[in-house]
Amino acid sequence: MKKRIVRFCYRKIIDASSEKAWDKLVFESSYKEFLMQSQFYNQEKKYNGFAELLISVPASEKLHFLVSASVIGYLQQLKGIVPDVPDNLGKHFMKFNNFRFEIINSDIKDSSAHKVAINFFSDPMTWHDTLDNYLLVSAGDGEKTEDGLLTHLLQLQPLLSIYSLKEEDES
Amino acid sequence: MEQSRKHFLKNMFIGAASVPMILSACKKETVATTGSGSGSSSGSGTGGATCTAAPEETGGPFPTITPSSLVRTDIRDDRTGVPFTIKITIQNTNNSCAALAGAIVDIWHCDKDGYYSEYGGTGMQSVNYTAVHFLRGRQTTDANGLVSFTSIFPGWYSGRATHIHVHVYNAAGTSLKITQIAFPEASASAVVLVNTTATGYTKGMSGYTYNANDNVFSDDTAGVEIAAIEGSVSGGYTLTQIIKVAA
Repeated sequence: MKKRIVRFCYRKIIDASSEKAWDKLVFESSYKEFLMQSQFYNQEKKYNGFAELLISVPASEKLHFLVSASVIGYLQQLKGIVPDVPDNLGKHFMKFNNFRFEIINSDIKDSSAHKVAINFFSDPMTWHDTLDNYLLVSAGDGEKTEDGLLTHLLQLQPLLSIYSLKEEDES
Repeated sequence: MEQSRKHFLKNMFIGAASVPMILSACKKETVATTGSGSGSSSGSGTGGATCTAAPEETGGPFPTITPSSLVRTDIRDDRTGVPFTIKITIQNTNNSCAALAGAIVDIWHCDKDGYYSEYGGTGMQSVNYTAVHFLRGRQTTDANGLVSFTSIFPGWYSGRATHIHVHVYNAAGTSLKITQIAFPEASASAVVLVNTTATGYTKGMSGYTYNANDNVFSDDTAGVEIAAIEGSVSGGYTLTQIIKVAA
């Protein structure tokens, strides 16, 4: 049997209705950064919305990357743990080192239109089996004990997906 | 189009609002929706798909307000090259060119091989968050209008003379000036010596675009965009430049 190594992607969406403290800080910081950085591509202030700016000034696509600087500090505060995705015991267990920040929508005149996503890419995990709508997984190759490999049960849920799949021969 | 989208979103939120009722029917203390992101994702009313375990852990992390990661003096991250100090003074043309304190200055430049930090690859390619914004920085001017950055001497890429991008904002973040700093390029200049003799700089000067042919700097016949640069390849270089803005 092949061993399946997967990396999960959790796409966390943050907008004006987000209520958690961390989410609000990300919202405010990323909007402020958007207002600053978008001026480079919108020097005549012809565009208000991010979508129209993107269509009119294709180079403004770089704003996803540029505005991501405003959330790096908040990512560091997570200490490498993906938020909002606990295992079935209610514990956060998924580790990440990689992310990708996106601006979904924004408007220089209307902060309520600001909506962003942070995609958290988990470190590689072993996917052993699927039970109903749960995935039986281990972090990395799994910690070996006398009882065998330690595992987590992870429920399939919206905004959580498998980002990559690698099959290896069992060693 | 926009109208129908709003309607759609509105319906989704109504769907999301009904989820807690479905969940309470589960009669299990550890169930909840899947965090703040779920408001825009769930509305099908199937319940089971969103009935997941809620975190049951010691509290934290406790988020604190953090400035943009661009706010820093040392902008090198993992980039190597000839040590380079960048000193930019901002003056206000609306105040007899007096020093402008409290202005926000963003700078960015390429690495020794001519690459900028940016998202590479396809739309969803992931990036490590620890060194993603190399050679980009932000400082606020002091009472003398000065900002300083620790960096590496920039390389060059096809079609452009060596340069540093600068974006000056007032304290409120409103753009005052977007410009670029040019480099001297005579035979014993830092640009020539670094690119032809310094370790790691492999391009030499063959194919280099000089300021006179550069599409940004060619109109600067008086050379006001060209910085003063002092130092040596072994000891590093220091760039000083004055940028005038109307604040």
